[in-house]
Amino acid sequence: MNGNNLRALTEDDMQEQVKEWLEQGKVDFFLGYKMIEGHPLPHFFTKNDLDEVDDLIPGSARYPLEKIATKIAAQQPDAKIGLLVRDCNQRALNVLYVWNQLNPERVKTISVNCCPSKLKEHADCSYLEPEKSGSYKKQVGVDNNMDLEEVEAYDQQERFTRWMYEFEKCIKCYGCRNICPVCFCKECSLEHGDLIGTGDLPPEIPIFHLVRAVHMAGRCIDCGLCEDACPVDIPLRLLYRKVNEIVVDVFDYQTGTSASQSPFNILGEQVTLEPKPISEAA
Amino acid sequence: MTIKRMTFLQNLLKFMGLEDRLHLDWISSAEAQRFVQVVTDFTEKIKELGPNPLSDERKQPKSAHGG
Amino acid sequence: MDYKIIPSVCSYCGTGCGVLFEVMDGELMGTLPMKTHPVNEGKLCIKGWNLHEHVNSFMRLKQPLVKTFGRFIKTDWDEAIQLTADRFKEIIDKYGPDSIGVLVSAKITNEENYLGQKFARAVIGTNNVDHCARL
Repeated sequence: MNGNNLRALTEDDMQEQVKEWLEQGKVDFFLGYKMIEGHPLPHFFTKNDLDEVDDLIPGSARYPLEKIATKIAAQQPDAKIGLLVRDCNQRALNVLYVWNQLNPERVKTISVNCCPSKLKEHADCSYLEPEKSGSYKKQVGVDNNMDLEEVEAYDQQERFTRWMYEFEKCIKCYGCRNICPVCFCKECSLEHGDLIGTGDLPPEIPIFHLVRAVHMAGRCIDCGLCEDACPVDIPLRLLYRKVNEIVVDVFDYQTGTSASQSPFNILGEQVTLEPKPISEAA
Repeated sequence: MTIKRMTFLQNLLKFMGLEDRLHLDWISSAEAQRFVQVVTDFTEKIKELGPNPLSDERKQPKSAHGG
Repeated sequence: MDYKIIPSVCSYCGTGCGVLFEVMDGELMGTLPMKTHPVNEGKLCIKGWNLHEHVNSFMRLKQPLVKTFGRFIKTDWDEAIQLTADRFKEIIDKYGPDSIGVLVSAKITNEENYLGQKFARAVIGTNNVDHCARL
């Protein structure tokens, strides 16, 4: 993957590289961001309009570009895809490669800076230090910005009531699943008639969230898009962080960085998932 | 593999506050005595823990959907 | 292979969340929330997430339908409007204007809502006007 990845130092570098890739046919299209009507939105840059590439920006909002790439690859498996990635997108791509949803040989990426941390000072990502929740939420539920140790410090009864308080707010919008870059199942368990069922509101608490949490094992790469998309601010990222921690402890598998198959594939040690179309074309 | 998955599930439930209600054991069909023992022990344990806190939640009527 | 992202506004309720439509090869196949939109800030309800299905649904009406002898028969706009007007007149003559009620909705614009209540009050002559948000 090293030959397919470029770390962009400036915006101009990025635009120049994309133009070169498009002109030379190394990628069929490039997914990046462009300012449209005052909003940074994902944009599909092609060879037909190279001048448009001057408007390519790293974008201050995060969208799951790799999910869009997966949808396109499902329709056109031979397409050569270029996309803009931050660290979270790169981890998502790794998971998608392992699960055969994208072909690493057909993907070229340009990395841009990520959240500020001790390793990288300059940052473009909007998902910086999240705002601390208000004091009301701290009293009655689980704060989105807590550490796992803080949650585990509560005793069992209190932990239960706090988590139930959070889950009971759910309105079953499926936003967490719809925006998740590593959710690609054609038949989702969350819509299965016998497990969760469709049409019932509110969803069965906490079954809905625990089913989703179990399915995130071996797939969640801690991008936080689910929490961004939740209209009632359930601390999903925290829950899935715990899931990831358990997976590391019990299975010794680091999601997003391990190149091997996830321990949760149900078909045994080898997975033969073909890229499946995501759209409801069937 | 199953042990690992059960451990995973137990840890997840514990994180949520629903611990000790899941048990895994391997018993052959020839070990009837042991099967009885394991089930009796686990039933006792569950009785001590009390009813599942979720059963109280479920007694609340489901709100009508639509609207 | 062509893929476009088109910003728009959700058409379901009066909130007006910002959405992005995903159009692949001219066909609408997905909806994403607009993260920088001031109204919803990247969050959508289940109706908003499924706007793309609503637009292309086979269940959408394409023509006015008239119920004749228990079955729905296709017709054109002129005939449908004339038939409705005639039936309204009949009902008003027989039972009085208060027998008709008008329900307006959050899915239509304020101006259309104004027209709806004007129609009820000035044309039909009744005060029986209500809005889906009151239900």
